[in-house]
Amino acid sequence: MAPEASLPLLLGLAWLLPLASFAIIVLFGPKLGKAGILASYVATGAIVGSFLLSMVAFGIWHFRHVGARAEEAVHGAAVAATPGNMHTADEGGSHDGESHSESGHGDSKHGDSEHGDAHAGGGHGLPTTLPKSFTKDWYSLAQIGQLKLSISYYIDSLTVLMFSMVTLIASLIHFYAFGYMHDELHDIEDHEVVLSDGHHLHRPGRFYRFFQYLSLFCFSMLGLVIAGNILMVFVFWELVGICSYFLIGFYIERRSASNAANKAFIVNRVGDFGMIIGLMALWGSLGTFAFGDIKNEQGKVERGIFSSVRPPEKIYDPAARQVIAMTGGMVISGKVTAETPDSITLLADNGDTKVILRSDIEKRGIVGGPDGKPPATVHEPFALRVPDGMVKSAAMNLIVDDSVEPTPAQIETWRNEKYGYWLLVIAGLGIFCGCVGKSAQFPLHVWLPDAMEGPTPVSALVHSATMVAAGVYLAGRFFPVFTGEVLLVIAYVGAITLFLAATIAITAVDIKRVLAYSTVSQLGYMMLGIGVGGWAAGLFHLITHAFFKSLLFMCSGSVIHATHTNDMRRMGGLRHKMPWTAYTMLVGVLAIYGAAIPFLIGFSGHYSKDSIIAQALSFWDLNPRHGAILAGLAIAGSGITAFYMFRMWFMTFAGKPRDHHVYEHVHESPPVMYVPLVVLSVFAFAAGFPWLPFSVPKLLEQARYPGAAAAAPLLDKVVFPEEYLSHVGAFHNQAEIIITFVALGGLALAVAFYGLQLLNPDEAKKQFSPIYKLLWNKYYFDELYAAIFVRPVMFVAKIIANFDRWFIDGIIHRLAAGVKQISLLDDMIDRYFVDGLVNLVAAWTWSIGNSLRSLQTGRLRQYVMLIVIGTVALTLLVRWSVAAGS
Amino acid sequence: MNPINWHTVFFYLYALVACGFGVAVVISTNIVRMALYLIFSLGATAGLFFLAGADFVGSMQLLIYVGGTLVLLIFGVMLTAQGPLISLRTSGGDWIVAMLLAGCLAALLVPAGLTVSSWNTGRPAPTTEQVAGNGAQPVLVSTTEKTPQIPLAGGLPDVDNNGIPDKQPITAAPIGLGLLGARVDKLENVPEALRPGMSGYLLPFEVISVHLLVVLVGAAYLARSKRSAMNR
Amino acid sequence: MQLLTQSVGVSHFLVVGAVLFIAGVVCMAVKRNALGVLMGIELVLNGANINFVAFGSNFLRSDTAYSLGLDGQLISLFVIVLAAAEAAVALAITLNFYNNHSTVDVDRADELKG
Repeated sequence: MAPEASLPLLLGLAWLLPLASFAIIVLFGPKLGKAGILASYVATGAIVGSFLLSMVAFGIWHFRHVGARAEEAVHGAAVAATPGNMHTADEGGSHDGESHSESGHGDSKHGDSEHGDAHAGGGHGLPTTLPKSFTKDWYSLAQIGQLKLSISYYIDSLTVLMFSMVTLIASLIHFYAFGYMHDELHDIEDHEVVLSDGHHLHRPGRFYRFFQYLSLFCFSMLGLVIAGNILMVFVFWELVGICSYFLIGFYIERRSASNAANKAFIVNRVGDFGMIIGLMALWGSLGTFAFGDIKNEQGKVERGIFSSVRPPEKIYDPAARQVIAMTGGMVISGKVTAETPDSITLLADNGDTKVILRSDIEKRGIVGGPDGKPPATVHEPFALRVPDGMVKSAAMNLIVDDSVEPTPAQIETWRNEKYGYWLLVIAGLGIFCGCVGKSAQFPLHVWLPDAMEGPTPVSALVHSATMVAAGVYLAGRFFPVFTGEVLLVIAYVGAITLFLAATIAITAVDIKRVLAYSTVSQLGYMMLGIGVGGWAAGLFHLITHAFFKSLLFMCSGSVIHATHTNDMRRMGGLRHKMPWTAYTMLVGVLAIYGAAIPFLIGFSGHYSKDSIIAQALSFWDLNPRHGAILAGLAIAGSGITAFYMFRMWFMTFAGKPRDHHVYEHVHESPPVMYVPLVVLSVFAFAAGFPWLPFSVPKLLEQARYPGAAAAAPLLDKVVFPEEYLSHVGAFHNQAEIIITFVALGGLALAVAFYGLQLLNPDEAKKQFSPIYKLLWNKYYFDELYAAIFVRPVMFVAKIIANFDRWFIDGIIHRLAAGVKQISLLDDMIDRYFVDGLVNLVAAWTWSIGNSLRSLQTGRLRQYVMLIVIGTVALTLLVRWSVAAGS
Repeated sequence: MNPINWHTVFFYLYALVACGFGVAVVISTNIVRMALYLIFSLGATAGLFFLAGADFVGSMQLLIYVGGTLVLLIFGVMLTAQGPLISLRTSGGDWIVAMLLAGCLAALLVPAGLTVSSWNTGRPAPTTEQVAGNGAQPVLVSTTEKTPQIPLAGGLPDVDNNGIPDKQPITAAPIGLGLLGARVDKLENVPEALRPGMSGYLLPFEVISVHLLVVLVGAAYLARSKRSAMNR
Repeated sequence: MQLLTQSVGVSHFLVVGAVLFIAGVVCMAVKRNALGVLMGIELVLNGANINFVAFGSNFLRSDTAYSLGLDGQLISLFVIVLAAAEAAVALAITLNFYNNHSTVDVDRADELKG
């Protein structure tokens, strides 16, 4: 089966399986076994099935797209053999993967032609590779004019990767939840809920309902990932939101839980408001909902958002009889081998030889190498870059487009006018606003720590694979739409978030809150990565983070399950009692810390975080002012991360037990809980290896949309570096070294304070009392929002309530009294006038009848006589009238 | 001086009998005698029917009225003729009022019957041409001479010098056909457009048949209701 | 004798019918016996019948175009039949009344007076 048919089938099934499970549990929940225990089997079976289907899809994708490994080897050799290559050997792999993918799999047209070139170099004919993405309508809901509502899919390597990650983690969480939620199989006495009569709440278990929500959650997230248009994205986006609402408020009887659920939902509404504006701006400017180009029934290609925003170009070189792919913003990396007055001959890094016409360079505004200058001399490492991702109209006559319909004229007009660009900025900011809400970025980060009220498996799911991942995923998905200005906003929001959250995490004592803030912080890293142009870096971190963060949460859940408390101050020394949990959690901590032997091997977090930092450094190199802040915050954040993560681990597992009562009752969790931890710890360790043939960065590169590096024409002097440039040794080595030392510093502090207890945390607390207070109170964000938003709203609400009570109700009461009076009057009229009339008529009728009664004498002979009289009279009358008439 | 028209003579005879006994019915106070006088009156009326050429109706008058209805009446008389009920006297006032009314009615009806001049004498005798034209063709007595006459078995109505056909046409057959819906007497003399209105009396005939049945059932029921009430 | 040599016309019959009709009406009006009233009705019907037959006759009038024709005889037949039916019902009613009240005086049958 061809991938374009099998992939949608597999992923579609994987998407719908949790829905089926949800439907079954909704309909038959409590009847599934004792206390609904079978519901967990149904839900787990469904998600495992989804996982298996996703893995098959992953395999198909891998062998059809990356399968051309021989080709890759050629490229690798070319890179290694290229003189002046600054890459070190161990980086070569990763860089090769990326650069190859950039130029080789960027875009369908792009990919075709590049491969065409590559094959031409190897003596092959036309390209045979698969397109970068598959997109099609599954089912058309409605078409109203231009507005087309459909259920469609957009499958690229990012989709496949997300499916694999989400289903894997969700499967493990389902297994884990089976152990964790075991209490819900029986009736529950909730000690945190005190009823008005002073007793604790006693309620039946809700085991099946938990799995019902989990299934819906998975379905929603997978639907968001596979969505092929922004309408579907929005629908599943909101479904994810409502699922998180259900699950955070799972212990709905607890006031804190219901408040947290409300808070999460309301804060997300704020973000979604912006998102709706963004989507409307996108619709209003582009007139389509679809991501990719879809062939409709007439065989005509309808342009999607991506190709409308960044239409691919091809330059046809008549001399070479060859199509050279020149996508907007695409980079051809290599060196110049020959120059003539008319053209430049370029040996690309991937071994291709390209001839670029100088006239094209002028027309298209192609500017030079990494430093932004035109190529000076022959034989110099060189990269051509189109600074603006947009198509220049001057190059339009060179576009030879054989598979995609020409850009509609109105889009060109739109793109060439100012307000079109502004609309794009608004759309980008709006969509990012939604991402801010979902991914708990500053300033909407306040809901995520409160969301810890939900059961821990939910926290694991929310924090790794679904809810918050949705925001970053969406930012990644819409990356081609974001303009430079939006990217800069994203970068700043990410940097501020990561720093704020990391600092708050230092003082937190609730084990889950530490992890929650660390999630916020890591999400900030991802946003920062995306914001500084590191699209692959940000999403890479999303994947690796999902593994180690779900691992960390499930470990903390295991701890909470054993100790029945969240407070780290009552723990300590637990590693003796629960070694599986302790050491798998250590793996997670090391992963988030980014532990590695530099330039050799490291945990997954090492690779992803390094690529973000490297990209930030690369950005710093081009934009000294912005870059200093962004990169500085990111680097500082990594040190703080190291400190608070090890602080948490030491406080929980190391040292002596602080609370012996707790310690005595601690026990290792059942295998159904710690086996998923072990599996996840393997992934947390290994998920980031870049040299694997199916490594995450390589896969991501296949999904990169061309022209990723956008410029910011509305801002001066902001240039976004191409991501491959960050893999240039200078930045990457710098990043690796800096991170290693900064993180080691954080680790050292943590060891000093909590591991070896050389320093007393309480003394530090006193010494930095103002800062500690600030951090302890989470920068007073909740209080700030209460003062700015909540209290004014309450005040206005009170005024309105009073207005309602006194003014509107008063009017209504007066009206009611008036109506009552009128109805009394009406009653009088009815009683005396209408009824009187009717009675009068009745009385008349009665009296007439009474007087006529005597005519009925009952005497037959009298009647006969009357008849005769009548007859005579009638005859006389007729005769008289006839006579009178004639 | 015309010879005596025996048709007229018999008319006056029957008319005298009918009117005389009719008045006798009124005057008589004895219910039994009234019944007897009524028989005579109605019988004479049957004679008048014969004289008017309605042989079938006259015979029906004799059969149904004189032979059926009046026998029924006499049964009623005999069943109820007990002493005081035989002759119930009426007050003089009633008589006077009734006579006044009778006078009024007579003043209306008798002049009304005499006003139309064409009603005063019978049909004039047909001319000899007409008789010759009709020749050997036996026809039903027709109301108009223009239209072809329907041949009818039973012979030519020979008309004497008084205009009275010496052979009365037999009316039973046309009446029977009329009751069954075919008006053979009117086929030839009505414009085409009026043909649908010419239908006979099939429906009234059927209605009256059912009516009779219902009446019989009702009469039987009424007559026996007392006894059944007593038995109950 | 002029009277006996002339042929009779419709008018003669009409006069006879009128006499019978008036006799019947008077009979109905003055007889207290229910059977007497019934006999009056019979007389009235007979008077009417004579009129019908006379109008239907073809040779009792000089302008035969306006004759009722056979319709007159048919209607009088119906009248005879209906009179028979009416007599039967009336007798039944009378007998019933007699059974209940032991009289046939119509002046005593005034229970439905207003």
